[in-house]
Amino acid sequence: MTSELFAAAEGGNVQVGEHPQWHILGLTINADTVISTGIAALIVMAFALYLARTATGKVPTRLQLIFETVTEQVERQVESNLGIRTAPFVVPLAITLFFFILIANWLAVLPHAWEEYIRPPTADVNLTFAMAIFVMILVWITGIRVKGRHYFKHFIEPYPVLLPLNLVEELTKPITLSLRLFGNILAGTVMVSVLALMPAFVQWLPTSAWKLFDLFIGLLQALIFALLTILYFAFAAAPQEEGTH
Amino acid sequence: MSSYYLAAAGGGGNLFLIPNATFFVELVIFLIVLAVVWRYAVPPVKRAMDERRNMVRRQIEESQQASKRLAEAEARYSQALADARVEAAKIRETARADAQEIKDEMRHQAEQEVARIRERGEEQLAHQREQIIRDMRSELGNLAVTLASRIVGESVADDARRAGTVDRFLDELHGMAGADSSSRGTASPSNSSTDSAGDGVVTARNGRRRR
Repeated sequence: MTSELFAAAEGGNVQVGEHPQWHILGLTINADTVISTGIAALIVMAFALYLARTATGKVPTRLQLIFETVTEQVERQVESNLGIRTAPFVVPLAITLFFFILIANWLAVLPHAWEEYIRPPTADVNLTFAMAIFVMILVWITGIRVKGRHYFKHFIEPYPVLLPLNLVEELTKPITLSLRLFGNILAGTVMVSVLALMPAFVQWLPTSAWKLFDLFIGLLQALIFALLTILYFAFAAAPQEEGTH
Repeated sequence: MSSYYLAAAGGGGNLFLIPNATFFVELVIFLIVLAVVWRYAVPPVKRAMDERRNMVRRQIEESQQASKRLAEAEARYSQALADARVEAAKIRETARADAQEIKDEMRHQAEQEVARIRERGEEQLAHQREQIIRDMRSELGNLAVTLASRIVGESVADDARRAGTVDRFLDELHGMAGADSSSRGTASPSNSSTDSAGDGVVTARNGRRRR
């Protein structure tokens, strides 16, 4: 069985990182990623607008309770790591990241037959890079605005000799942030593709089990991305420097 | 489908780690989502959370106030109860004192009354005695003289002698009356000569005294 699977994979039936593409004005655009990102964005925005209309201080809906729980956790994290007053915009940013990544990841549970166009968009580096680089640029700007010239001091701490290492570490942050998410979700889709090579009368069982597990991974990765975002802001702009990690 | 794969096939195995122009589209979509969530979802939810938090705080305060008021009311109640008990005890005490006073008063009055009645009785007795003595003084003499003259046959009409005799007799009687409280037996035989009249007086006096 296993050898058959590998044989099938080597035979070219499992495609990793292949995308249907549009070519517009000499630019290459991954069609499936754009479509699925749009769907995830529409879902999140629909929830947001629904919340805006129904949010109440009396008896909240379940959606509002979920949103409130996330908001509260995010506020607590930001407050304890960074101080909300230092960078108040981190709270909506982290909330948006969490929900958007969560919905995007959970698109993975849609049936295999649609996978050509609605794959989880986080399985494409374009989305994860976009989010990670946006976050890191904001982190650097915030760090410089809050601390001024002192922000650059942490690059030569504890010793000036470590300047290259510190620079590499800082530049690694967006890469690890994006590739962690991308790798986890891509692995999920690859796993589904591999399971699809099994005969139809057995594949439903491992596929269902895997997709349930994928839901958990999707939640975990969304959480990690949002939490690390807050922590990076904390490292950059916290009132006292906690070290260079 | 195969045409799409053909388009990517030239890039080799690691193509999927290099971002392409999709990056910018994704960035724009993400920024739109961020703007919508930031602008429309976060503020009302935060407001709702604050509102609920305030409501809970208010309710807690209200319940604290209510329990404080309850405690105050209980304190007032027990205070009033204690006051009422003290009042009742005071009233009882006063009543008892009044009763005692009234009792004393009445006893005092009764004693006075008794004393007064006794005094009057004694006065009356003395008065009657005087009366009897006066009567006897006037009548007994005549009677005795008449009796004696009949028996002896000699005239004792001589006023002076008669008066002397009667006076002597009455003095004796008086003297006897002074000592009569000791006993009737001793008084009775000594003046057997004057017989039943004097005896009767003494007996009557004794009897009245005893009553």
